[in-house]
Order: sequence, then structure tokens, then C-alpha cells
Amino acid sequence: VRRGAAACAVVLIACGAAQPPPTREVLHLYGTPYARGLQHGAQLSSKIHSFYTTLLTASLFPYLGREQSDLETLLPIYQDPRYANGAFAYQLMLDSAHNVEHSLTDDERNELRGLSDGSGMSYDDVLVLNTFVDTLLAVRAIALAIRLSRAPQLTQLWVEGSPPQPYQVVPWAALTEVPSSPVFHVTLADPDGIDRASVRAEVDGTLLGADAVSFADVDAGVLDVRITAGDLGPPGAHTLVISASDTAKTDIPPPTHENVMRDEEILFTTQGTGLDAHDVLRPRLDDGRTRPPPVAFALRGSAPLLAQNFALLDANTAHNHTVVLVHHPDDGPAFATVGWAGVVYGFSGLSSAGVGGACNPSDTLNNSVVANVLAHVDDLSKARLVASGTPIGFTLRRVLSTATDAASAVATVEALSHVYGWSCVFADAAGGASHVEVDSGAFSAPAVHADEVATQDALIASSAYQLLLDDAPTLSVAGEHVVPQRDWSGFFFRSQRVAAAVQRSLTPSMGVEEVERLLGDAQLVDPSDSMNAVVIEPAARRLSAAMGQVPATAGPFEAVEVMP
Amino acid sequence: VRRALPVVLALVAAQPAGAAETTMPPKGVWLIDVSYVQSTIDKAWDGNRQAQSLIDPIPRYEPGAGLQGILSARPVATYQIALFQIAYGLFDWLTLAVNVPVVLRTTIDANFQWTPGDYQSSIGRKYSLDDFWAWAASLGQPRPADHWVGNQGTLADILIGARVLLPQPKVMRPLGLRIAGSLQVALPTGHEPDPEELISAGTTTWDLHAYGDVEVHLALDRPFLIEPSGVARVNIGADFFYSYFRPRTYQTPTGSLNPLILTYAPYVGSTYTIDPGDWFGATLSFDLAMIEGPTLNTWLSRRAGSTFGWPALLTLGVGYTYIATQQTTWQSSSPQWDWDREKHWLPGDKNLVRVVATLSLLRLGLPLQIYGGYRAQDWIPGRYTRAADLFTVGARVVLKAW
Repeated sequence: VRRGAAACAVVLIACGAAQPPPTREVLHLYGTPYARGLQHGAQLSSKIHSFYTTLLTASLFPYLGREQSDLETLLPIYQDPRYANGAFAYQLMLDSAHNVEHSLTDDERNELRGLSDGSGMSYDDVLVLNTFVDTLLAVRAIALAIRLSRAPQLTQLWVEGSPPQPYQVVPWAALTEVPSSPVFHVTLADPDGIDRASVRAEVDGTLLGADAVSFADVDAGVLDVRITAGDLGPPGAHTLVISASDTAKTDIPPPTHENVMRDEEILFTTQGTGLDAHDVLRPRLDDGRTRPPPVAFALRGSAPLLAQNFALLDANTAHNHTVVLVHHPDDGPAFATVGWAGVVYGFSGLSSAGVGGACNPSDTLNNSVVANVLAHVDDLSKARLVASGTPIGFTLRRVLSTATDAASAVATVEALSHVYGWSCVFADAAGGASHVEVDSGAFSAPAVHADEVATQDALIASSAYQLLLDDAPTLSVAGEHVVPQRDWSGFFFRSQRVAAAVQRSLTPSMGVEEVERLLGDAQLVDPSDSMNAVVIEPAARRLSAAMGQVPATAGPFEAVEVMP
Repeated sequence: VRRALPVVLALVAAQPAGAAETTMPPKGVWLIDVSYVQSTIDKAWDGNRQAQSLIDPIPRYEPGAGLQGILSARPVATYQIALFQIAYGLFDWLTLAVNVPVVLRTTIDANFQWTPGDYQSSIGRKYSLDDFWAWAASLGQPRPADHWVGNQGTLADILIGARVLLPQPKVMRPLGLRIAGSLQVALPTGHEPDPEELISAGTTTWDLHAYGDVEVHLALDRPFLIEPSGVARVNIGADFFYSYFRPRTYQTPTGSLNPLILTYAPYVGSTYTIDPGDWFGATLSFDLAMIEGPTLNTWLSRRAGSTFGWPALLTLGVGYTYIATQQTTWQSSSPQWDWDREKHWLPGDKNLVRVVATLSLLRLGLPLQIYGGYRAQDWIPGRYTRAADLFTVGARVVLKAW
């Protein structure tokens, strides 16, 4: 740069300007698993260290560390010195990583060793980097479910003029054919009392004023809320959103806050709509309080397509570390995964056998961490939050390495035990497509092969279970509640909304460009935690990915062909 | 006063004919100059010559819960500096000088601001700035003070220099030009900022971004309207210079004080290097002798024998300097980290406008000059540079042992 400086300056032009490094890479890896790991580690060493530090050391570990004080009262093992002095989160992840490692094959472990040697990062850190997603989701699920169990509960819902009904969360319309100017009643209950000022009611994204919401005390800690929705116009589907806080203040974890219930999104239709509750698609909701979760869909037919818009955790760093890994093993099909530096998998991929897959996390307390706590429920002094099973990324890798079609892909998934809940879609070159929902079997609920939710020629999977609605029973463990996903997951309602948005937009024989445009639709894009978007053409063995920026679809889709 | 700090030789103005860019004390004459400089910086120019904050906004995310908000700052940094300069005319054609800048103190007002991000279902609201710092504190990240004071009585890089009056080729003499060359070298006596502090400032040439480690100047003066007293009513000067900055190595923050924001070392490496890039600049100046003033018969005039060419009582100088700045490059183990900094220091330019008034009391019998000036870097926008504005007031004494 220094050479020619004078010349640059004399002519008063900018020269020698620095150029941005790529935020996305495509790596072709050859040979044995160890050799491929070594190549990956050596070529992306800088990014691997950067990704680990910025995402884990500086973001997730401190975040998870805040839970220690709460957890060690329930699980005294976390008072052990090895979890002290800020080591809690890392040690928690490492415990799980070592446990999960037992489910990995020799080839997978060898690849991780190669990655460690190539990058100069310790094997333990590489193991944590490759297992933390499933473990973190499981631990976070427990913390979130506990937190929500302390918040107000919506116990009854009815339309004025009809008798009160117990409120049950359903993925479809909770009420149908209500008057066009309905008046709703909801009952909120919390032992600490409901903070009336916090009660919030909106219809179709419009916040209702104080004149439309009135209260009546039913009992101590039980409040009836009367909601006048106003004239909703012509027949159609609408969304009533209710939320409230209790009167207790807590600063665990900071900042100080009340216990806030989840936004309960109640789907209903007005008179004349004429739809069965199960056939009502959730309408668009632009209230700025939720962001679209991941969604994947497959289109059957002569030119099958599989697409995914994946969002989970960017933390202002993941997008700088994106990579498509194209594996060329010594034996078996070549395959590509869309992921991040230092992670040997992705949440979508394609094999040269013409099998593509994409997986979205599905919140569940039926996860391996809960299962391991339950195993010690008689003596919680020995219980730890430790994961077990196969992380979904390795599951997808095995699918891509072995499956010959969508059906065998599903069989591979169903044969494994899983760390956490996931919802996956597979498509093959022959036009086959399948959808499978999994949990960890902690309560003996099996994986569900959900192909029957197919809508015409399309399969749509978002982040919430569509069939595995009773993923967990309702019970109490050591004073804490275990409930099904639908009762606590923040993804539950918005997941159906994004699936509905896709369903409304899909048309027969959509082309790749149309699908790419759909993936960039505001109803599908999480502007904060978007991670990548992919369109997979199994027959053409082509995978197009947008990534390297937030949201991912703000950049172009770039294609990689996966040939033997 | 040329840039963020007065440059040694440009301040040596007790020169016959009042020439501005080539001024040199005669043989055996000392110039002792003491001045106070206040430099204020609150903006940086982007590639579109638009003013931006000195610090990039920091978007903060709650893992899995989207954008908490954007932490931004509109820092205002003020350096208060005392300059001690001594120049000596070794010959009529050679001047040696040393300049000792002492930072009296630096103050930084961060002016933190907060743009709320996504609704956070866990607390039932969007994060406020206080919410964010409460959250950050629970992760071990302390809230930085909004007001920082440091560098009290801290040396900046000391300058030593020499100016040579160049012989004029015969062919150029009719032009009436006076041509001088000078060399200036900065000694690394400045203080680097604490790498672990979120808000701090150093006193090296790179931190001040005002003068190079080595500078070579070629200056010309052309006086006009010369009075019988030797005072030029108008002087037009020009200066062309090249500034070299040496690469320097810094310790990488480890996050020991700011674990959420400054944990860089694990991927950047324990140290990193900055090559600031060099500058090429040109100055055009106009000096107007506003009031020649009376020449009194004093001990000074009697000792000097002649007052021909002594500076006017009041001189007003205006100047414009253009500086082309080269790319500043960071070199660490992380190209992405490097780029996040380099993108604000792409090849660019500075545009400086200065106004200086000098009151010379030599003609009244006092070997003293008092001057004050202002130099603005934000009147004309630049590119990829920081805009420091500078106020100066000082006095210089002319000494000669007869």
C-alpha cells in the first residue's frame, strides 16, 4: 500500500483502498473425514476463532451465565467450584458436548479432530461449537417455560352472550362465526394479582384503547377482562392478541420487570366466513412484537424444490462467518451444507444423490436435558442440565451421506434419538417430499412422520409442531410445570402465521426465482436474526444460498452444484 | 497554525517582510514560543462527505430474542494542549527547532444514545438504555461513564525540525520568490490509550492525527506591495508536504474491563498493527499586513541598528490546506475485524481553513508577538477523516544576544 502513495496523493485520487473480506465462503473438502476437517479448520481458522469468541464467549456464555443463581437453587450441583468464577456456561455446554459426543460416529469425531488441528482451537472448544445449538435450545426451553409459568395465565375465553369456556391453545381458530362486532371475555389468573395497567388487547394489530377494555374482579388474583373489538367489517379471519403482567417485580434476570405472559394470539372468524376451524389460515399481523420464525417448504413435481428461510441467532456476528461446505468423501455421495465457520454441519443441505433437507427447531420440553433431569428426579442433588442424543446437524449430515430419497431420509431421522425438537422437510430428485417432526422421547412421545400435512403439492414446515401437538404431558416436576409446546413456546403462534403466509403465496410449478422472491417477503424475514435462505433443486443437484448479511435475503442467492 | 497542532516552523513568524511559509529567524536569533491549543473533535467524514459520529453505532442483541437496541454515542473529545517551542537561527539560511506538546488534559463526553429494538417478550417491553445497562451488568459489562477525563500533563510526540532557505536559481530571481525546505521528525514520546478502556484517548501522532512522524515540506513565499519600511502588505505563500506515518503495534483488548464489548484478543491476536498510511498536502496562504504601526525609537531598534523588514503591528493570515490521506490498514489475525476499522479510514482527504491574527510589538520596543487563531476542519467536508477544530492563542519572544 505504501508503494505508490505519493503517486496516489499527487493525482488526488483514492487508491490502495482496503477491500472487505468475504462474509460467505464456499469450501470444497476432499478425502477422509479427518482430512476434510483439517482443510476446513486450516482455511477458516481466523473465522472459526472469531465466530467462537463473538458468538459464544462474548454473547451466549455471559447470557447463559445469568441463569446460574436460579438454577443452583434447584440443582445444587451447580454450586460446585468448577462452575464458579464465570465458568458456569462454558462448563454446562462442555458437559453436554462430552455427553453428546457419545452419539457421534468415529468419522464425525475424526472430522472434529481434523477441524481442531487445522484451526488451532482445542478439541473441547470445537466440540462445544458443534453441539451448543441443540443444548442451548433445550436449556433455554426449560428456563423460558419456568419463567412463563410464573406469569399470568389465560384460563377462560368466551364471546359475550355465550357461557365461559376453558381456554385451550390450538393451532387453528379458537372461535368461529362470532358476531362482526364481537365482545370477548378473557379470564386472567395469577397468584400475585394482575397488573391492570399492563393488560393489552389488540385486534388485527390495532391496540384497543381503554374505552374498549374493562375489568371486573372475579376472585383474588383472577380478573375478567371485557374486550369490545368494534366492527370488524366483512366476514373473515381475525386475530385477537392478549397479554398482561402480574404485580410482582423481579430483577432475576435483570432488568427489573414484571412476570409477563406470552402474547396469546386467538384466531377467530366472524359470521359468514363459513370455514371450519381447522381450515382458517392465520392472517398477517404487523404489530411489531414478533418476528417470523424459520420456515421450510417443499414443492413436489417434475422440478421439485426445497426452500428454507432460517432464522435463529445472528447476534450481529453469525452473518460474517457463513460458509457452504461441499464434502467430497472418499466413499459415498458428495454433499453440501449451509452453515458457519467451524461448524461441520448446517440446517439445510443437498447430496449428490439428489436428496435435500432443511430443519427448523421446534420448542419442546420433551428434550434430552429434561429427560436427564427426570432421571434424577428422586435426588436432584445429582441432576444436571446435560444433553444427550444426536444434534440435528449431525442427523442431517447422516441423511445426506446415506439417503437415496425423501422416504429414506425420514427413516434415518426417525431411527436416531435427538437432543431437541426439530421439524424437517426432505425432498428428492424424483419429486418426493416428506416432513418429519421429532422430539427426544423423554415422555415416550414418538417422532411423527408428518407427511399427511401435505397441502396439494406442497409441504410446509415452520418452527412449531403441526402434528406433535402433545409433545409433552402436563405435569409438575420438583414444583415446576411441564406443559406441551403450544402452552409456552414463543414460536407457536408466529410459526403458524409464517406457514400460512407461505401457503397463501405458493402457486403450482413455482420457479426458483419466484421462490427466492417469496423467501424475501417481509412476512418470512426476521430482520434481526435471519441467518440464511436456501433454495434446493434436488434434480439439478443445485443449492442456492443467500447469506452473509442480515437479513440473509438482502443479498443475492448464489448457486453451488453438488456433483459426485 | 497548520493542523491539529501547530507545526514548529510555521509558527516562526518574526521574519523580515512577514513571509508566512518560509519564515526563519536570522542567525543568532532565538524564538521562544508558548501557546495554548484547544482542539475539539466531534465528527468524522464518511465517503459521501457526510458528518458521522466518531463511533460506530453498536447494535446489541439478546441471544435468540432479536435486537435489544442500538447503542450509539456522539462523543465530543477536547484536547487542551500547551505547546513549548524553541527555534534558533543557526545561520540566516538554517533554522533548528524543537516543539514540546504537553496535553494538559483530554475530556470526552460520550453522549450515549439508545434506539430501542425489538419488543422483548421476557420483560414485556422494548429495552430502554437503562434496561440495556442493567442487562449488560448482569453479564459482567459495566456501564461506562458518560464523561471521561485523562491525559493530564501527558507528553505528546515531541517534534524536532530544521528549515533550510534554498538557494534560488538565477532564472527564478525575477519572480521574487523565497523558497525553503524543511524536515520535521516526531519522537515517540506520546502516550497510547488504555486498550481495555471503552472510552479513552492517546497522545501520539496517530491519536492526534495532526502531523506525521516524519514530514518533508517545500514552501514558497511571494511578497507583494512592499513598503519602504520593508513590510509586505500582502504575502502569498504555498507549502507542499509529505507526511510519513510509521506502522505501530498495539495490545488487543482482552475484555478484562469490558467483556461484552471489547473481547477481541482470542481471535484478533494478542497484538495488532496499524499502518496509518501517509499524507500528501498543499497549503495556500495569504498574509495581509493590516496595520504597519509606528516604529518607535527604542532600545530594541537602537540595538538592532535597523528595523527594515520588521513585522507589521497587526498581520492577518488566512490559509487553506488540502491533505490527501492514504488508506489506514489494520493487520491482525482477523481480516473481518480489520475491515470493520479500515472501512472508516479509506483513502480520503481533509480540508482545513485557518485564520490567524498576529500582533507584533517589535516596532514598539518589545520583542514579543501575540497571536490567536482558529482552524476549522468542518467548514469544508472531507472524506474518511475526522474533523478537529482548533483554537490557538500564544505568545513568542524574540531573543538575540548582541
